Formats: sequence, structure tokens, C-alpha cells
Amino acid sequence: MPEEMTLPWERIGSEFRKDYKRAGMLVDLDRCIGCHSCSVSCKTENDVPLGNFRMRVRYLEEPEDKKIMFAPLICMHCADAPCLKACPSKAIKREGDGRVFIDEGRCDLEKECIDACPYGAISINTEKEVAEKCDFCTHRTDVGLDPSCVENCPTDALVFGDLDDPESKISRLAKKNDAKAWKPEAKTDPSVLYVSHDRWMEKAVNTGVQLDEKDADITYEQNNLGKKH
Amino acid sequence: MTTTTTRRSFLKLGSALAASAFVPLRAEVKAPFSQPLARLDYTKAKATPTICFACTNHCGVIGWVQDGLVRKIEGNPLDPNTEGNLCSKAQGMISYTYYPERILYPLKRVGKRGEGKWKRISWDEAYDELVGRLKPLRENGVPEEFVFHYGRDKTKGVTKHFTNAFGTPHRLNRRSICSSNRRAPLMSFYGREFEWETQDLENTKYVVNFGGNPYEAYQGGLFMTHRLQRARVDKGAKLVTFEVRPSNTASKSDEFFTVMPGTDGAVAGAMLHTILKEGLENKEFWDRWANYSLEKLREDVAEYTPEWAEAKSGVPAADIKRIAIEFAKAAPACCTMSNRGSAKHYNGMQGDRLIRTLDVLVGNVGQEGGYCLSSLRGWSNRYGQEGLPKLSFPEPKASDPKPWGIGEGFNETAFKKLPKEVQDRVQGFPDAWKKKYYGELATPSEYPLSWHWYSMRVGQLVYPYIKEKRQKVSVYMSFTLGAAFGYPESNVVREVLLDEELIPFHVAIDIGYGEQTSLADMILPEAASLERFDHHSTNNYGLIPYTGLRQPLIKPQGESKTMPEMFRELAHRIGGGMEKHFTYTDDESLYKDWYKNLPISWEEFKRRGIWQDATREKDYRLYERPLTDEQLTGATIPKEENALVKDAEGSTIGIIKDGKPVRGWPTSHRMIGVYDDIFPTAAKAVGLPLEDGNASPVGLYHDVPEHVNLSEDHYIFSTFKWNVHTQGRSGHWKYSAEIIHTNPVFMHPDTGARLGVEEGDSVELSVFRPMGHTYRAGEEGVMGSFKNHVRFLKGMHPKVVMCSHHVGHWEHGVVGNGKSEKTAPSEGLTETLADKDMMKGVWWSKKNGGIGGGVHINDALPINPAPLIGGQNWYDNVCSIQKI
Repeated sequence: MPEEMTLPWERIGSEFRKDYKRAGMLVDLDRCIGCHSCSVSCKTENDVPLGNFRMRVRYLEEPEDKKIMFAPLICMHCADAPCLKACPSKAIKREGDGRVFIDEGRCDLEKECIDACPYGAISINTEKEVAEKCDFCTHRTDVGLDPSCVENCPTDALVFGDLDDPESKISRLAKKNDAKAWKPEAKTDPSVLYVSHDRWMEKAVNTGVQLDEKDADITYEQNNLGKKH
Repeated sequence: MTTTTTRRSFLKLGSALAASAFVPLRAEVKAPFSQPLARLDYTKAKATPTICFACTNHCGVIGWVQDGLVRKIEGNPLDPNTEGNLCSKAQGMISYTYYPERILYPLKRVGKRGEGKWKRISWDEAYDELVGRLKPLRENGVPEEFVFHYGRDKTKGVTKHFTNAFGTPHRLNRRSICSSNRRAPLMSFYGREFEWETQDLENTKYVVNFGGNPYEAYQGGLFMTHRLQRARVDKGAKLVTFEVRPSNTASKSDEFFTVMPGTDGAVAGAMLHTILKEGLENKEFWDRWANYSLEKLREDVAEYTPEWAEAKSGVPAADIKRIAIEFAKAAPACCTMSNRGSAKHYNGMQGDRLIRTLDVLVGNVGQEGGYCLSSLRGWSNRYGQEGLPKLSFPEPKASDPKPWGIGEGFNETAFKKLPKEVQDRVQGFPDAWKKKYYGELATPSEYPLSWHWYSMRVGQLVYPYIKEKRQKVSVYMSFTLGAAFGYPESNVVREVLLDEELIPFHVAIDIGYGEQTSLADMILPEAASLERFDHHSTNNYGLIPYTGLRQPLIKPQGESKTMPEMFRELAHRIGGGMEKHFTYTDDESLYKDWYKNLPISWEEFKRRGIWQDATREKDYRLYERPLTDEQLTGATIPKEENALVKDAEGSTIGIIKDGKPVRGWPTSHRMIGVYDDIFPTAAKAVGLPLEDGNASPVGLYHDVPEHVNLSEDHYIFSTFKWNVHTQGRSGHWKYSAEIIHTNPVFMHPDTGARLGVEEGDSVELSVFRPMGHTYRAGEEGVMGSFKNHVRFLKGMHPKVVMCSHHVGHWEHGVVGNGKSEKTAPSEGLTETLADKDMMKGVWWSKKNGGIGGGVHINDALPINPAPLIGGQNWYDNVCSIQKI
């Protein structure tokens, strides 16, 4: 370490921003250890209220084995986004790099987006009175930082990058590991791809990111076991 | 790409502000977290490197401050141990710093003790009262009646400096609650410097894990996880885990076997048996470094056949055999791993010695990819720290008080107040122990191994011993301690803390209002980790030592103060010579002085947060390194092989190997202590029968007494940690509690079927006292019970039921107790820190239709110290279960 070295956290600014054709994320379930660092870091980063989620790590018991699988779920930033089409106020928009975001100023809380999303990615932030979801941390990627969840993953299970650049790390890993969309029958062409997920997991997570009474999750315990406690 | 704030969203922000007016804010104070926060702007926010305090790992982190608030914690890429990684708990630092029920002013109780009525007092009043109580103890020659007891002391020596200067040996800790059973085997094998191992997981090919859970908890877990995951996923390393539940580590393991609790040692024994039978041992390494003959080991493990181990553990013999062979063939790039899972049992200390023997037998110790050992803690030129800049608490240091005993140099007055039986026992101890004896709270005479290597103590016996009047207490100071919630038989803790005859005065130092502080007479608010300095160094899994600086990002909230500031002030007010040891003017000058030998400036160190000489050779094979000319100056160098090399003062510094002086290990014999007669010596000294496995000089498997002939309707009740929580400290961190706020009884579906319960049903779990040679062993009847609901997991051992132990608080505020209304006292708290997330209570509170905040289980867990060492056998509890 030479004296007066430039420190990594000092290399921040619009000059460090990377331009992507198609921003995307790879979620490698072989690497994920279910630590919740991504989702908690997201809450802090984006001031997400308790009870709302832009990202949630699901704990799912394998149906034929005794192990637990971990699946971080977020907005899939679909190329064919049902939420975008469903919003009557045109508050859901797409950036040049393909990411889907909510223009908070335009949101009229009509909630059509919530029903339209096959992944449970959108919720209503009652504090701000707007719909809320992941935007790949635009405020971070604008200044050259990775999204908060990616930066805070301790096992490199999350990779952010350009899916349209075949030489990018994300594209190489997606190809090498045969990455696939979560719940492909939704036919939304997601920009978030998963490595090593199985179809049983798609069923087990139920809606996905938000809490749901039908969740059979081991964490985030709710009053949903159908019994008195 | 930023979204512009439209008129509409501006109006919405306005309505949120209006909503916050319903909260009883003081008009003059700002409550920044009571409304949505402005989005982070990293071009304007200020980054400061510091050290995380959310668990025992102490990771290098960067804290981002915007508009005077700490908004985000990220990893410090310069930290060679984390390599820039961190976990969810790091964000918890923000939760507790700004927790609405954090204590910000000194408080004095006004009602009965424990009644929860307080008044705010000034620091002057607080100091005056404390000095008024402490000073006479010193003047009357009974400084030992001041008892300081901590849960997490990360002041790196400030508190010891204070208790030493005051003259009391009572600086009590909770190591026995945590890890003394697993530290003893390491210190016995490798010496005091290596009470924790540092496996080279980056380069390993094969790991056998006996109940360790680094992917969720484990001291060093965060440092281990990313290296081991890289080794597994990128390089094909194999991880085999023996566990009783599907922990995250077990779930990510390549092979996961459910094992009967307390039988890890049997599996390890059968692996030793197999390796020797197959001729896969590294004879050269063993003969060169083990202090025990291979032939004797062969005899010891002859009966430990894989079939025998299968009968004990339930792990198939064929698998044990295969794993032993795979492990040995991967040597030296293989290692064992174990922590509480194997160690927190009656037989855990000796079981861990068998596990440690595996590494020695295959010769992976200190090798690439193997079971390495690296320098721990502060740098004072000890073994493995040669050439590192010396870092130490600034002079003048206060020396330790006199040991208690009879004769010159001993504190006879204090000794003679001890019960006759204790005096007799101590008088029969070897001289080396007599010089370390400081009464029953600090050095319990029935557990000499808890202080043979250094003072680990037996924290869970402190309160019963006070109750038995083994030690008079005049002032009891608890510091970041959650014993009233988290110790076994915590009801006894509370009973003693409520007894004003046993504890005439209790002052608690903490940042929050918890179960411990609620039973104090005075509460002093401590500055939180983001508000203070601290010195940090630990073993680096990258195998090159480094040091890091905790430093303040913001000023202490309210009137909270740091320990160095509090203790400096107290020392000066008590006077009588104490003030001479507290000469620093402020916290920063203290730490700057501490770090004066670093080769970079203080300002540059603060800028980076971490210092390491990355060009230094990695800590492989430290034991083979030749003694340097400097070390050999004035030394006696014998000629014969294996003779000890002594320096000019007569201290052992090395051993002769191949005719040359090398370092060897920092044990008395410079070899690996596979055989250690300290165990039978200790047993004889305290009257433990030599037939008890704990008395064995070599590792061996012996049954947990209460697990023998476990009846059909009895189960083993065990506890575990979740990755988002830190012991009992994190129940009120809002994002951690949102994920885990309950602690259901996890069991195998077959266990449920046998009990006739379904998921969601409630059960009553009744726990019995242990057998064997331990505290209140063999007492009949149920010692404690609790009710909780059931959940099923197929990865549970069918004879085991488990609850996590973090939740079920009745203090710690809205988040901590999972309720809707504040429970903490109205005085001295921080309306200034109102949080929008908590104004209406948390979503999981029962009032809001949720499941509530979990069940407190620690009253139902018996105090169960392992013989000789005193580590709490958390995982041995036998219980019965009734459906309700």
C-alpha cells in the first residue's frame, strides 16, 4: 500500500458510469449462501419500509432432500414488462439500458402493476404513497457503482452487467452456467437470470418478492400455518 | 438517469411530514428517520473506513454519511480478511445507532429495582455517586468488591487497564458461554497463541466439518465463507458436514450427514482408525512434530471402528470410511473444521482433541490448503508476529493485582474470606496455578482449565456463586452484557440482580435498554460503535497479519460517552494513583499513541482504515522457520535432536530439528501437544474421577452421560444461531428482526408424527438437569420449560428439537419484543430518533395481526459447565415434549 494511494471508494462519479445496452443481473444459486446481505443492504440503501421488499431471499426446503435452497428474488426488469403495460398513469418507464423503473412523481397508486407482475416485485410504500420496486440502484450505477445487493454479496452470487455484450462477465457466466429465466412461462423476457434453480422452487416461492400468506418460507415467519400459536 | 422530484411527489413528502406530527416529538428536535429519507448521493456523501461491530468477526467496512446521518455500510476492499465482503448484520449498526429506544442520558432508578422507573441525571451526578461507592472500596483495602462483568468488551484493554489500576481481579467475561471447550484443545495442541485456527480455505481441496456453521455464524465465518465458496464452486473442493439440522453450511455442503448430538468425536475417532488402518497417515510429519507415539495412537483408536462409530452417531460406517480415505488422500490440502456443534457437549473438549488429531495425522498443519495457524490479536512481538510493528496500550500500564493465597506476594486477606473448602483445594494446587488464582468469580477453583492458559472464566457460575456468597460484591458493573436474557438459567441471573443484599449497587453500561440494564440502579449510556475509536487485529484467513481502526463517523448521540472517556474521568475522580494510568487527553490521542509504530501516518491510517504489509511471507510452516540470529543472541543451543533452545533469560524459544534451531510450536515442549497431562493433573486437583473422559491426557470419545439409554419419549433440545442475528444483541435491529422474529421448535416430520403434532401446533418443552460431574447434576424433575409452536424440517435429526435463541425479548423496545407499544422507560430515551418504521409497531406484532416476537428459552436451559474447563454444554439438554 503506497502512501497516498487512491482508495476504491474515492473512484465515484458520472465519469465512472458504464453504459450498457441491456443491464441485467445473474443470480447464481450455487454460490448463494442465503445470508440476506443483499436484501438487507437494499433496505438500507433505498430506505425500504418494514413490510415492503425490493428484494427478498427465500428459504425453500428441497422436496426430495433434507437441504434448504436459497433464492434471492427481485424485479426481473423484463424486456416485455407487464407492469409497464398495466400502469394507467404511465408511471412505469424504461431506461435506455432496458431497466424498468417507477417515476414516483407520476404514480397514482392504481396498483394495476402489482397484479400484473408475475414475480411479486412491486409493493406500495405507504410512507411515500408510491409504488416501489427495484431499479438496479440507478443512483449507484449512474456514478460507477454496482447495485447495492451486488456490492454487498459476500460470495459473488450476484453479477451485474451488460447482457448484450458477449464479452462481459455476466454474459460469459450466463453462457457457461446455462443461466435461465425464473418462471419462463410468464414469457416476459427477464433481464435477471438464474443459475441452478429448479422448477420446484418456482412453485414453492409462490408470488415471489413480497410477503404472502401462502408463503411456505422458513424465514419471515407469519401467522400462516393455519394454526393457533 | 435520476428521477426529478415533481410537484406531486413533493406534496406527498409533505403529507408524510404531516403524518409524523402525530408522534410525540419534542418540538425543538429533528427526527430524521421519522420521514422518508432523501436518496443517497454518493458524490456528496462522505465515506469513512471503520470496523464493523455487529458480531465477533469485526470486518473492515466503509460507512457513508449524508446530511449528518450514517446511511449505509459497505465492505472495505482493503481489508485482506474480508476482501471487501460483509454480511447483513453490518447494516444493523445503523439500526442500533438510531434506535428510537436507545439510551442517551445517564439514568438513575427512582422506583424499586426492576420496576422500570427512572430519572435522568447529569454525568456529574452519575460520577459522584459511582466514585462515592468505589473510592471507599479501594481505601478500605477491598477493591475486589468491585466486580466488572462484560459481554462484549471491544475496548482492547481499556477496561483491564481500569480494573488493574483499581486493584480488582474481577473483570469477568462470558467465554465459557461461547467457546472455552473448543479453545482448550487448541491451546493444548499448539500453545496459548493459537486458541483459534485459520484454515487455508482458499487453497483447500477437502474440508470435514464437525458441526461448524461458518456460512451463518462462527467467529471468522465471513472470512471463511467467501474463500470456501470459491474453493468449492470454482475449484471443486469438497465440503462434508456433520450436523443435527439443515444449517446454511450443511445445506451448501457437498455431503451433509445428520449426526447424533455429542458424537462428532466418535466419527473423528473412526476416521483416525481408518486412516491408520489404510496406511494413509503422514508418519514423517507425525514423528517429527507430535509429542505422542503413532503406535500409542494406533492402540487408542483400535476400538473406534467405523461400525462402532455408526452405532454411536448414526453416520453409515461405509461413509465414515470413505470420507476418512478421501480426506487423507487430499492431504496436505485438506482440513477439519469444528466449533460449537462438536464442542458444546460434556465430551466436547476431548472430542475436539480427536478432531484436531486428524489434521496432525495427515500432516496438513500449517500447509497450503491445510489447517493453518496465524497470529491473533494485538501485536506485541509474540510468536508469529516477528517483524510486525509493535502496537500496545500506551504506558504507564497498571500491573495485575496480587494473586489470592498464602505467603509473600499473595493477597491473604481476600483469600482467607473464601470458604474453607475452596482454600483447601487451592492450597493443594501446583505453584503455577496458585500464582494465577484470584478467587471464585475470576478463577473458579473447580474449573482450573478455565484459567490455566489464560482467564476464560466460567461466566454462567458467577451468579450462583454470588448467591452462595462465595464472593462479596459491593459494586457490580455490567457492560454490554445480556446475562439476564441470554445466560443459562437466566431466571437465577435476574433473581440475583434483584437482590439488593447480594448486589447492593448495579451500574449498567450499554447503548440500549435491555433485560440487564432494566435491573440496574444506574445506567450509563455508551457511545455506539459508529461513534468511537478502537484498535482491531485478528487472525487473517489470507494468512498475513493486518490491523484495522474503528473510528467515529458521527458524534455520540445524546450524552452517550465512550469507555475510554468514562474510565479516564472515573480514574481521575477516584484518584489515589489511578489517575497516573489515565494520562491521555482524549480518545483519539490514546489510539494515535497506540498506533505510533505503524509505518504510515495516523492520518493515512484513518483514511485507509486498514494496514498490512502485503509483501510479508504467508504464515505457512511457522514451526519450521529457523530461529533468527537476533533471537539466538545469548541463547543456549544444544546439539541433540528435539532438545529445547532457550534464550539468555532461560525462556524456551525453539527446538533442534535436523541439528538446527527452529521455532517449533509455542508450547512448552515446542511440539504439538497431542498428549497433555494437564487434563489428568486438573482432574486430580479438583477430585474429578480419572475414569471421566475429561481427565484423559489424549483425545478420546466418551458418551454424554445423560444421552446414554435415552428413552423413547425423551429428546435432545439444542439451540442455534441465525445468520441475521448476533446472540441476544440483535433482537431490536429492525431489518434482522423482520427476517427472524420467532424461534419455533424445529423438528423432523417423523418426530412430529411420533408426538402427534402438526406444523403450527403448540408444544410444551420440559428440560431436565444433566448427569455427570457438573453443577446440580442428577437433580430429579423438570428444571425449566417453555411453550412454542412447531415447524418441520426434513434435515433435523429425529431425536433433536431446536429453537434459535435470539428472540423473545421483553425489553429492547418495539422491535426487540415484537410488540406495538414502547416498553422502555420514558425518561432518557430518544424521541429525537423516532423511526417511521416503528411508529405503528412492527408488522409481525400480534396487535398488527402478526405472529409476535418469539419465545424466551434461556430460563429453561440448565447451567451445565463442562468438567475442568467450564464451557457451557448448551447442546446436551434432555427434554420431554407435550402437545398442548
